[in-house]
Amino acid sequence: MSSQRLLILLAEDDDGHARLIERNLRRAGVINPIIRVADGQAVLDYIYRSQSDLPLLLLLDINLPQVDGIEVLRRLKSDPRSSKLPVIMLTTTDDPRDIDRCYELGCSVYITKPVRYEKFVEAIQRLGMFLEIVKLPSPPAQALSAPSGLEPCGQPS
Amino acid sequence: MEGTHNESPIPAWVRAYVLQHLSAEQLAAILDVAEDGIITVNAEHRIVLFNRGASRLFGYEPAEVLGQPLNILIPPTYHQSHPQQMEAFARGPVESRRMASRRTVFGQRKDGTLFPAEVTISKLYSQDQWYLTAIVRNAEERKRYEDALIQLNQELEERIQLRTAELAERNRQLQEKTTENEMFVYSVSHDLRSPLINLMGFSEELEMAVNRIEELLGDPRLPPDIGEALGQLLQGEVKESLGYIRTAVERLSRIIDGLLRLSRVGRVEYRWQVVDMERIVQRVIAAHHAMIQRNQTEVIVEPLPPAWADPDAVEQVVANLLVNALQALESRRGGRIVIGSRPGDAPGRFLYFVADNGPGIEPALLPRLFQPFQGKAGSNSGHKKGEGIGLAIVQRVIERLGGQVGVESTVGSGTTFSFTLAQPGESPPPPSHHEKEAPAHPHKEAPA
Repeated sequence: MSSQRLLILLAEDDDGHARLIERNLRRAGVINPIIRVADGQAVLDYIYRSQSDLPLLLLLDINLPQVDGIEVLRRLKSDPRSSKLPVIMLTTTDDPRDIDRCYELGCSVYITKPVRYEKFVEAIQRLGMFLEIVKLPSPPAQALSAPSGLEPCGQPS
Repeated sequence: MEGTHNESPIPAWVRAYVLQHLSAEQLAAILDVAEDGIITVNAEHRIVLFNRGASRLFGYEPAEVLGQPLNILIPPTYHQSHPQQMEAFARGPVESRRMASRRTVFGQRKDGTLFPAEVTISKLYSQDQWYLTAIVRNAEERKRYEDALIQLNQELEERIQLRTAELAERNRQLQEKTTENEMFVYSVSHDLRSPLINLMGFSEELEMAVNRIEELLGDPRLPPDIGEALGQLLQGEVKESLGYIRTAVERLSRIIDGLLRLSRVGRVEYRWQVVDMERIVQRVIAAHHAMIQRNQTEVIVEPLPPAWADPDAVEQVVANLLVNALQALESRRGGRIVIGSRPGDAPGRFLYFVADNGPGIEPALLPRLFQPFQGKAGSNSGHKKGEGIGLAIVQRVIERLGGQVGVESTVGSGTTFSFTLAQPGESPPPPSHHEKEAPAHPHKEAPA
């Protein structure tokens, strides 16, 4: 099945976080192009000025400089040109306040960092989106019992 | 009218005795030596008797007032009402009474000045005529004391009000400070999570790389001596270092999460309602069923009265205290936990307690028990879960619910944690500024 290629716009100001997310997506088999921007204004600029007509998935850090993630989300959702854009919020904590605000503003899914591929795949599935994932991740059996986010993504022998 | 007494001031037998044994002069002399003023008027309200005491009080010689209307001794304000009251008294059933026991009455001196007076009035029917006798005492001194007392009372009340206001203000400032601190802790721990995520993520990346290298080491093309040296390096230094990093990162993560949770306690809005404590306790016990079974701990729940609080907050408190008790009893036989209640020290409060028969806590550790990261310090239970934030959360929640936490412990026989809550029907503490919005997004450094 040939689908239009989806572009992933990653809005993340922390270089390390951006790198980790990218690596995990690639490891999960995501081959879609990933474009990274480092602040909220750049997200808006990209979305409203980009000439590309590729469909877009936005991974949006809640905590961005210039225009923060919540504000970016608010503007996107209140503008008819971008209100249907799928957005996955990235949060540093599972603070209910942050999460509630995201949902209020119409974010469909959030992921608490660090972004692990199973979380990412689950989020994508919740969005009902088709991603060009060439290899399906094998479910790590021990992932459920491990403490917050430290189980290795690979197979620890 | 108050202060009435029906019996005549002079019993009949006294009257009879006096009339038989004393002459009119003797009676007059006795009246004159009396300290109090004694004034008698006839049915026309004219003065017929005026003793020395009355002269001293009013400044008139008896000759000046005898035959005069009583009104000359009364302030003009009462010239209308006083005679009417006298008539009413003369016709009424009461023989004798104290005038105006509620307010001060005044007499008017010859020089026109007024003085406060205590007056007792009595009536006498003699030779077909009514006579009214007033016994007058200067009440200036008493009134001075009374006035001083009233003023002192007022001053005291004002001071109490002032002090109460000061305390309320200081309390408000303290709460504001607490909120500020919590916001600060929230911001800091939120910001700390960002580098922590890198530590977590990249140590995972390293572990994955190490695993990959291990696989590559199995390649037969590798010279055996190099393969062995690399293998030792990997199994030794590299894995050990990664292990330590991983442990430290996990610990750091728990501490930061604990701080975030603690700072969040002050920001959650409460839904005040009647809380069924028994139901909450049963629910918490059910949620920890596995842990209770594993340790074969006996959990006894006594009858618990309902409280006025927030159900989620109370559940958090009960869960923390139960887990605490279960941890204290870990790997002990015959562990028993009693959850019960009794009336609190303050009126309108109940005290709830969770008591265990665990090893107890050293007295030196008790004062810092409710401080974050202190609780587990000396328990030697080997428990690192939660990093000792649980009791700090308990204290903060109970404080916000308007109660107090307490702990009693005896080494060797157990520990009892307690908290107080308002009974239903008691008004909740006024909603305070803690509900003030915390910044949803702590400050963020500009990218370098």
